[in-house]
Amino acid sequence: MAFEPNEPQEKIKYDEMRIYSDEELNNYTEEELKNFKTKHDTPMCDDLESGPWPSFVADAKREALHRRKLADDRILLSAETVEDTLGQLEDSFVDGETHWKHGGIVGVFGYGGGVIGRYSDLQEKYPAVAHFHTLRVNQPMSKFYNTDFLRTICDLWEYRGSGMMNMHGSTGDIILLGTTTEQLEPIFYQMTHEMQQDLGGSGSNLRSPSCCLGRARCEWSCIDTQDMCYELTHYYQDELHRPAFPYKFKFKFDGCPNGCVASIARSDMSFIGTWKDDIRIDQDAVQAYIAGDIAPNGGAHAGKDWGKFDIQKEVINLCPTACMWMEDGKLMIDNKECTRCMHCINTMPQALRPGADTGVSILFGAKAPILEGAQMAVLTVPFMKCEPPYENIKDLVEKVWDWWMEEGKNRERLGELIQRWGLPKFLEVIGLPPMPQMVTEPRSNPYIFWKAEEVPGGFKRNIEDYRVKHMR
Amino acid sequence: MEDIRNAILEFAEKSKKSKFYFSDMEKAVKKVIPDVKARMVKKAATSLINEEKLIYFSTGSTTMYGLKGKGQTEDH
Repeated sequence: MAFEPNEPQEKIKYDEMRIYSDEELNNYTEEELKNFKTKHDTPMCDDLESGPWPSFVADAKREALHRRKLADDRILLSAETVEDTLGQLEDSFVDGETHWKHGGIVGVFGYGGGVIGRYSDLQEKYPAVAHFHTLRVNQPMSKFYNTDFLRTICDLWEYRGSGMMNMHGSTGDIILLGTTTEQLEPIFYQMTHEMQQDLGGSGSNLRSPSCCLGRARCEWSCIDTQDMCYELTHYYQDELHRPAFPYKFKFKFDGCPNGCVASIARSDMSFIGTWKDDIRIDQDAVQAYIAGDIAPNGGAHAGKDWGKFDIQKEVINLCPTACMWMEDGKLMIDNKECTRCMHCINTMPQALRPGADTGVSILFGAKAPILEGAQMAVLTVPFMKCEPPYENIKDLVEKVWDWWMEEGKNRERLGELIQRWGLPKFLEVIGLPPMPQMVTEPRSNPYIFWKAEEVPGGFKRNIEDYRVKHMR
Repeated sequence: MEDIRNAILEFAEKSKKSKFYFSDMEKAVKKVIPDVKARMVKKAATSLINEEKLIYFSTGSTTMYGLKGKGQTEDH
């Protein structure tokens, strides 16, 4: 389906927004870089350059030299922002603690997110990073940029910021690292009015929704993840920018159960494309794989001789629910037992494809904090149709939010609220009956407790007798 | 809407803390207007933000509200 914007789009005048010439962008030689000494001695940071992977320290030094050689009137922040950042990082390594203080009232007018105040606690030693706020820039769906956009935002950030950015943060935003309060509104104006680019979410907001490549690049995508992500991002602008939730809330959209954006582990509400009919089988292609005429795994892992493809060993025996077998030379699948692991489809993509009756599975409650408490999502809605304008999805989202806003404690994620109240309460809120797949630990944590009126004939028990053997 | 705005401002002025969570503000409004919906409180708070009577305070992960002029309300 061709992209149709929700509102008319003007042609973006990138040529008028560019700031630096090619000479300014390439203003140092490799020889100069080799001989470049940063303002502060940073032996521990320097050590990070010796590892096998490209180092952000090496990139930072390039940027530091680049800023030193730009004319004073070509950048609005100090030329030493990068060098002071490295100096402060070195002190953090030595002291074993951060020297950033974060949080505050800084922001852009009308927005409760997208800007995170950040200050150095070593302001006299590192004056160029004394005030060093972060901006989050909402990524386009699947991070499909064009080079004009990237060059323009890099110019803007070189001119009004530190020149350092992360591509990307956990939610997918571009993270612009370090600017002063007075630069926030001009940056925001240029991004929103001239580049049609919004800020992302932070704080107790809906965070920037993110999706996989979807149907733009992937034959397995069961839903149009880009369209869905775009629609919900626009529809829930108020929730993205004006915080009223108990804590953060994340949507992520995976087009198939391969889960390339890992929504199952990283989002409070995870959408995973799936199908409810049968896996489509091309038996001729199955035979071609068996005969070695088609390379398995799309030709991946070709750097080593793994021997002849063995469908029994490499596909059938690895099926987690043992729902596949060969019969009279044909591959058979008991589809009702398929758990959507995707292994057979990944191994033989020309022979097997997801079914044609597609929609989403919806899972709730994942979170992935850095230090502790990571939690996977619980499959709650096994299948829901998923067509624009996604009214059924929006109805569900709002039921969940209403409950969480009513019952959630401050700084309590949805997954924690579901655990505190129990899954039956959550199912009651969203109006779904329980099912066996929701039970994660049948012996210790069955989740589902039936009420007498829900069981034919009901039941009677004396709670005091029960407590004799089952103490609280 | 005006009565919700007044309830928010009254809470913000009387609150011992200079920064407070949305849910605390909502509870205070509910004491004055019991059947008020969270979405209405949010709309009223947003209008007060736009008039620069309230401010957002963000730690990066969580956002709180505050009364402009009370506690830390300037860039530090």
